[in-house]
Amino acid sequence: MELSGPDAVILEKMDKVIREVLKPGAAPITLDKRFKEDLGADSLDSVALIMALEEEFKTSISEEQARSFTSVGGVYDFIKARLVAAKAS
Amino acid sequence: MRRRAVITGIGVIAPGAAATEDFWRACLAGQATVASIPAHWRQYADYSSTIWAPLPKLDFSALGIGRVEQMQLDVSAMLALCATRQAIDNAQLAYILKNEKKNTFVIPGLNSRRAAVYCGSGIGGLTSLIFNQANHSITPLADALQRIKALAGEGDSAQKELRELCEAAQETVRMPARFNPFIVSMTMPNAVSANIGIKYSLNGPNTTFCCACAAGTVAIGQALRAIQSEEVDCALCGGVEYLGDEFGGIFRGFDIAKTLALPGCDPQEANRPFDKKRTGFLFAEGGAAMLVLEELEHALQREAPIIAELTAFAETFDGHNIMMIDPQAAEIRRMLHNLVQQADLDFSDIDYINAHGTGTALNDEIEAQLIDDLFGKKPLVNATKSLIGHTIGAGGAIETAVTALSIACKTTHACHNLNDPVRDLNFVREVGEFPIRKAITQSFAFGGHNAALVLEEYS
Repeated sequence: MELSGPDAVILEKMDKVIREVLKPGAAPITLDKRFKEDLGADSLDSVALIMALEEEFKTSISEEQARSFTSVGGVYDFIKARLVAAKAS
Repeated sequence: MRRRAVITGIGVIAPGAAATEDFWRACLAGQATVASIPAHWRQYADYSSTIWAPLPKLDFSALGIGRVEQMQLDVSAMLALCATRQAIDNAQLAYILKNEKKNTFVIPGLNSRRAAVYCGSGIGGLTSLIFNQANHSITPLADALQRIKALAGEGDSAQKELRELCEAAQETVRMPARFNPFIVSMTMPNAVSANIGIKYSLNGPNTTFCCACAAGTVAIGQALRAIQSEEVDCALCGGVEYLGDEFGGIFRGFDIAKTLALPGCDPQEANRPFDKKRTGFLFAEGGAAMLVLEELEHALQREAPIIAELTAFAETFDGHNIMMIDPQAAEIRRMLHNLVQQADLDFSDIDYINAHGTGTALNDEIEAQLIDDLFGKKPLVNATKSLIGHTIGAGGAIETAVTALSIACKTTHACHNLNDPVRDLNFVREVGEFPIRKAITQSFAFGGHNAALVLEEYS
C-alpha cells in the first residue's frame, strides 16, 4: 500500500508503536494484519497497545472503542478520523 | 558448619545519585542532597517542613526499562529493577535475552530454582494508586468545573470572579489522562520483588517485606537465612521506596506527624542526625539498593568478586507503639545481643556501626545511648541519612551497601552537619583510612520492627 503525506505519518507512528509493544519481528505491518491472529497479541498486550497509541497520538480511546479493534486497519481508520476531527475543530 | 554468604554485587540509586559509584563518591565527598519540595505541592497544604532529598532525573529507557514496562510499572518497581541490574553487572553475572516482547532475561550458570528475590518496601506502588485514584474521583469534578466555567461566560464582575475561581480550582486538578488498566499490579507491594523475579526468570522464593524503615534490612537478613539453611544458593536482596506522589500527600503525612526536619535559616543544615540541634528527618523522594548475595562456594566457583561477608541477622519487635521507639530499647538491646552471639563476636569486636540515625529527637537519643551502653566509644559511628535523607523501605538496604563498601574500601563517610553530638561517641567527623573488619548496620521502624546485620571483611 502506497501512502504519502499525513496518512504516511500516521502509519509510520503506528508501525513504531506496534513494534515496540508486540515485537512481531521483521515482517511488514500492513493494514490487513489482525492483532491476535497475525501479530500474536494477548489481552494484556492489547491493553498496553491502546495505552501506547493514546500516548503516541495524544488522544483518548474508550474501552468500548478499544474492544472493537481487531486489525491494524481498524485502528488506522479511527486515528485518522480523530485527527481530521481535531483539525476541523 | 553453617554455610557462609558473601556480597558479590551492589546496585544503588539514591537521592543525588543514579549509580553506586556516583553514590559512594558523593558520600565520601560529603555531598548531601537537599532541595525545596515541588512548588505545586503547596497548592494543597501548608507544611512545617519544606525540604526533601530528590532523586536525580532518571532516564528509565536508557536504564533498560522498555516503553511498555514504563506504562505498567510503578516507579518503585523500576527503581528496584535498575538497582538489580547494577548489582548483577557489579557481580559479573551475565544475562541473556529470553523474551524480546516481555524484555526478560536468564542468568546463565545460575540455577533459577535456587535463586531467590527478597526485597523490602514500605509502601510498594502506592504512589501510582494515589495518582490514578485522582483520575477516578476527580474526573466528575473536573468536568463540572469546565461546564461551570463555560456557563460563567465573560459577563459582569460576578461572572468574571466565578470564572477565575473555576480556573484556580482547575489548576489544582492533577490526574493521569486515563485510569491505568494495570493499576492493581502496579500498586501491590509484592510487585517490587515479583518484577525482579520475572525480569531474570528466577523461580526460588520471592517475597516482599513490608516493615517500613527496617524493610530492606529484614529482606537482606532473610536472604542470609535462606542461604544458611541451604534453601537457596543465591539471592537478589535489598530494599526500594518511592514516595514522590503527585500531590505531596505522603510528605504531608510525615510532616503532620512532626517527624520531618525543619528548614530553619539554612535548609542545607537542617538534616543533622545525632546533633543536639536536630529537628527531624529529611524526607527522601525514594531510592533503591540491591545486593547479590551468594553462598561462598557458589561465589568462589565462578570467581566472583567478593565485597564483604554477611555473617548474622537478628530482628525483634518492640510491642510498644506504632510510631514511637520504646524509650527503654529493651528489644533493640536483646536483638543486638542475639546478633553478636550469632556472629560469634563480642560487642568490643565491632569496628563500625552504620546507625539508623534518622535525626529525630527521641530516636537518636536512644540509639546513641544504647551504642554507648553496649559498644562503648570504640566503634566508628555514622548515619547515611545525614547525606541522603530517609528513604524508608530502601534505607536499611542502602545502609547495608554503605557498610559493605566501607569494609571493602577501608573508609567511610562522615556524619554530615554533626557539630554538637548528642553523646560522646566515635562519630566519623572526617573521611580517613579506617581498618573496618567487623561492622553492624541497624534499622528501627514505625510499627516497632528492629533489625540488624553483621558484615565482616571476607577472609
